[in-house]
Amino acid sequence: MTSLPIAGPTQHAVYTGRTTSWPMVATTCAGALLIVLMGKESNGAWTDLMFVVPLILVAIGVLANVLTASSVRATAGPNGFTIRWGLVGWPRCTYRLDEIEHAEVIDLPWWRVSYGFWRTPKRTNCTVRSGPTVRLSLRNQRIVTITVPEPAAAVAALREASAGGQLGIA
Amino acid sequence: MRWAIDHTSRERLQDQIATCVRRGVASGELPVGEQLPPAAELGTALSVDRNTVLAAYRQLRDDGVLEFRRGRGARVVSAGPALSSVTEAAQKLIATASGHGLGKSDLIRIIKELT
Repeated sequence: MTSLPIAGPTQHAVYTGRTTSWPMVATTCAGALLIVLMGKESNGAWTDLMFVVPLILVAIGVLANVLTASSVRATAGPNGFTIRWGLVGWPRCTYRLDEIEHAEVIDLPWWRVSYGFWRTPKRTNCTVRSGPTVRLSLRNQRIVTITVPEPAAAVAALREASAGGQLGIA
Repeated sequence: MRWAIDHTSRERLQDQIATCVRRGVASGELPVGEQLPPAAELGTALSVDRNTVLAAYRQLRDDGVLEFRRGRGARVVSAGPALSSVTEAAQKLIATASGHGLGKSDLIRIIKELT
């Protein structure tokens, strides 16, 4: 709703967005298919560890994918920027406004998409597709890149929320 | 989806939240099938109680805009009143106003005074 007027001084404006991680959904479906195929191939040998152990591992992988990596939800506003993954909203990261030095919309090339939650010493990537993406530069020099449906609206919400121009919006 | 509420307004917070959803649905920003944020998350973001968000969601469910499903949260099920009806009403207003010799700026002033 980017055409709406800027929130007034007494208004509380936030942006929320949810992006489905289709590669992870495809991986989950492939894993589920693998479970079915393993079940068919077992020929009733369910007590055989050669079948049971890989089956349990694949099942755990599928469940973990569904719970933690199927989608990414972002919230931007006076409470800062919060990222939640999957059905249960975990893992979760919150960057308070006073932690954010700079927020901008960048054009993420496909070869830099992380397709999940990646944390390195200097960067945090929560990207599931290429194209316009929010990039936060934190005061501790960490760079955070997050996929949201409307990056410009998310950055605008941060800008509205930042009292006294704490953020420099590109 | 952008949510804007005014904590100092006389309008109830749950009504303001419901208005945000209706506006999103009417503008097409919230298409049919779109999942709304969980009440606890939205409540935290808007600095309101979770029950206030749930009250807004229930209000929208009763109006046929949302549906609740266990494990799937609140989803948009109806596109709501089409914007075309608003456009039609606006056209009638413009015609009436021009009949009274009122221009665009006069209309905007009147609408601002009323809202």
